[in-house]
Amino acid sequence: MAAAAYTRRSTWTQIALLALIMLVCVFPFYWMVTTSLKTQIVALESPPVWLFEPTLNNYREALFEDGVFRTLLNSLIIAVCTTVLALCLGIPAAFALARFEFRGKKDLWFWFITNRMISPIVLALPFFLIARNLGMLDLHITLILIYLTFNLPIVIWICTDQFRSIPYDLDEAARLEGASQFTILSRICLPLAMPGVAVSAIFSFIFSWNELMFGLVLTRTTAKTAPAMAVSFMEGYNLPYGKIMATSTLIVIPVLIFALLASKQLVRGLTMGAVK
Amino acid sequence: MRGKVSRKTIFAFLGPSVIALALIGIAPLLYALWTSLHFFNLTKLRRVKFIGLENYGEVLTDGAFWQAMGRTFYLLALSLPLQLALGMGIALILHKPGLTLLKTLARLSLVLPMATTYAVVGLLGQVMFNQKFGVINQFLSPFGGGSINWIGDSSNAFIMIVFWDVWQWTPFVALVLLAGLTMVPGEVEEAARLETKRWWTILRYVQLPFLMPGLVAVLILRTADTLKLFDMVFTLTRGGPGSSTELISLMIQRVGFRAFDQGLASAQAIILLIITIILAQIYIRVFYREV
Amino acid sequence: MKIRDLLGSTALALGLAFGSVSGASAWSLKEAAAPYAGTTVDVVFLLRPGYEAIEAMLPEFEEETGIKINIIKHPYENALGEQVRDFVAGGDLDIALIDLVWIGNFAENEWIVPISKFTSDPALADPDLDMDDFFPLVLNAFGGWNGEIYGLPFDNYSGLLFYNTCMLEEAGFDGPPETWADLKDVYGPALTKDGKYAYALQSKRNETQSADSFARVLWPFGGSFLDENFRSNLLSEESQAGLQFRQDLMQYMPDGIVAYDHAETVNAFGQGDVAMITEWSAFYSTVVNPETSKVADCVAIAPEPMGPAGRKPALGGFSLAVAAQADDAEQAAGYLFIQWATSKANAGEYLERGGVPARQSAYADPALAETYTFIPALVESWQDGVPEFRPRFAEWPEITEIVQEWGTKIMLGEVSTVEGAEELGTRMEAVLEDAGYYSGDKPLAQ
Repeated sequence: MAAAAYTRRSTWTQIALLALIMLVCVFPFYWMVTTSLKTQIVALESPPVWLFEPTLNNYREALFEDGVFRTLLNSLIIAVCTTVLALCLGIPAAFALARFEFRGKKDLWFWFITNRMISPIVLALPFFLIARNLGMLDLHITLILIYLTFNLPIVIWICTDQFRSIPYDLDEAARLEGASQFTILSRICLPLAMPGVAVSAIFSFIFSWNELMFGLVLTRTTAKTAPAMAVSFMEGYNLPYGKIMATSTLIVIPVLIFALLASKQLVRGLTMGAVK
Repeated sequence: MRGKVSRKTIFAFLGPSVIALALIGIAPLLYALWTSLHFFNLTKLRRVKFIGLENYGEVLTDGAFWQAMGRTFYLLALSLPLQLALGMGIALILHKPGLTLLKTLARLSLVLPMATTYAVVGLLGQVMFNQKFGVINQFLSPFGGGSINWIGDSSNAFIMIVFWDVWQWTPFVALVLLAGLTMVPGEVEEAARLETKRWWTILRYVQLPFLMPGLVAVLILRTADTLKLFDMVFTLTRGGPGSSTELISLMIQRVGFRAFDQGLASAQAIILLIITIILAQIYIRVFYREV
Repeated sequence: MKIRDLLGSTALALGLAFGSVSGASAWSLKEAAAPYAGTTVDVVFLLRPGYEAIEAMLPEFEEETGIKINIIKHPYENALGEQVRDFVAGGDLDIALIDLVWIGNFAENEWIVPISKFTSDPALADPDLDMDDFFPLVLNAFGGWNGEIYGLPFDNYSGLLFYNTCMLEEAGFDGPPETWADLKDVYGPALTKDGKYAYALQSKRNETQSADSFARVLWPFGGSFLDENFRSNLLSEESQAGLQFRQDLMQYMPDGIVAYDHAETVNAFGQGDVAMITEWSAFYSTVVNPETSKVADCVAIAPEPMGPAGRKPALGGFSLAVAAQADDAEQAAGYLFIQWATSKANAGEYLERGGVPARQSAYADPALAETYTFIPALVESWQDGVPEFRPRFAEWPEITEIVQEWGTKIMLGEVSTVEGAEELGTRMEAVLEDAGYYSGDKPLAQ
């Protein structure tokens, strides 16, 4: 009897705690979306109101008058291109690191991974000056390339682990049949490594979509990304909170949906390399 | 025999990414090194001149630079333990058997903060922590905290930064630790549970060994990410009030793109890079399994 | 009543516009612009009322000239950085938007072209340009550097005292404070109670700290940034008195004033939480609009209070100048736009749409003061302001960063006014030393 009561109580505690976790995670988004539906006057009510007449005006203004739509498109183009490029470059490299033996391998791997740790501000300064000298400011390609500095290490890190988990006997057999290393990669290992590839692609995309500093420094108008746009509403003269939150919602919602759909892979990727 | 391939093959596989990363990762660094040895102000490009290590001297003796560095590590020291403690708690709750649907929902909601655009977190912070119309103060008002001035007070602003860092990254810690917990073989854990009812004992002696690799990864990644942290603080406080939330990357950005002193900012960036590499070396060589 | 006034001034503006067209038969904008039809001119605008005003008027210009004005909007915070990066990169901007403190920088880098290049060209110059009609102080401070005029004043501000008559009357005052001392010692204690505050001084760590907060308490007390030898004057008795005054005044301001930018300050006033603010003239439309202000019926405006050294109101504003990196057609088209946007003929409409022109003739009609109650105070402060309210030399971007950092530290009490001023002075002098002012390489111009 006592044990049953104990179990019941502990189940209720668990339910309460789970609910609390969900609430804390989700509430900021709820607040973001509701604020985006408020007019400026309602948004500035003190204390804040929870029930009000919603308006879509902020979205209309942000999307069609202030050009947020275009920056979302820019972000999408840049994130997709840099992800594809990072995969094309990173997968063979990861395969080589996992399968081949050569001198300096450790150092090379270490160098790839270190790039993941480098603060973007370290690269933003010189990259700006170089892009300026080459006339490459405000172009999509500039961001696509610089995003490789953090995407390529991710792809290499995750895919190297993934390739190493594939039994070596498989390529051994193929090689006896005279297959080249490239054939082994594309025909045998890559299909088996797809989960890792997917994970690293998801990460590349999310990181690129979310990036602010390079977008702020290296673009002005034509290649301006969505996060850089959101920041540009912060004028000391007037803070259009509703519009800022509408833009934020537009930026965050796609990536959240994407992350939820891919949540299994995402969690796997986070823990990959961490738990083995 | 295993893995012996020709140089040509190795180069074909590794060459493209090495060259790409060298061009976009190393060339700019060399350029930054060059800039850091010059007086190089964007608004005075006609007066660019070689000044040797003068910029470095200025950075190394500048109290403000080291304060910003100290603040960055202070943030790490405050938020990492919180993230570990809360993350561990969440992982244990999610690891408890039963309530499958609810747990799946909770796991899904944990993914959201991590995927959120960092700059948007800062904007959200501005709205939610506003002294007058912020919802946080509305929550706190029954407890007598209805008019806390978050953004305008030095220590409160720092607490706010810690809050958002914890909000965004505790889920990461929780999910990593949860993955570790699921690695514990079921029969081992069950056997242990028959021995004792104390969760602490089970955690310490049965589960912890499986959690170690995850904890190490968390330590490495959180350190690196804190040194890189820019977006959220930039949109939330811009380093203010005063300098109370000016982390190292905000400071370098300010010197380089607001005071336009690219020479000095490059010297700061190079010093930050050296510190990062040393830390990464220590972490990866000491803790991390190598290739 | 109000509507009739508005209609009246519209008629006036239209009259002026037609008058100028018919009066200058030899020159017309259409003809002058004919060679440049189809040219696109890139310019940075801010998200502020004066810019929205001209944007609303723009179709008229584009239609008449065939010139396309491509507006790139930035918040003030980013405007300098964006433009500097564009100019050093040899980018697309054809017109520079210049805050008065940037002019030395832009001019010395030769990013902008002296206006005389165009005003001396009869094909481009409007005979009604009438440079003498600009307030001389404004023209020289916003558009001039080293005896040369580069830009024409476009978005113009003066600091004004906005006060809430309802709150003041309730506390027994029938007018605003005449002096800063009264504001602190008499109005401060009487108006600060029940969660309301007498005054708010926007002091956020950005240009607001230097321009709106730090400089505002320096000058009325006889202080200044620099002495005549360009050494720091912040430790002088007068400067210290000003900085100390600001510290003492903070007890009558809302908590966290160090994080207040214009938006927060104007909101606090508009919500009726603060009885007085000293803000730019451009906020007039915000505080009298019932949609953005709960106290629209209680707003009155006076010149900023006086200090021991007299009335030294804050001065700020923007001019437009032609960028040197633009090609000839873009330069000419850009000039035509600047000339049109700042013209006498358009000043009336600009005012009515929420802008603040710098044309003396625009304020000549005494009836306007009834509609726009800020006009008398504005005109008064433009007749005797301090052009170097903030030094305008090329080093200002570095100096202002230092002022912002240490100014906020002083306010937060992290350092005393003396310690802060010492630190500020040392750092400021180091910048000026590097620039070559002390070795005599550079004339002492600000």
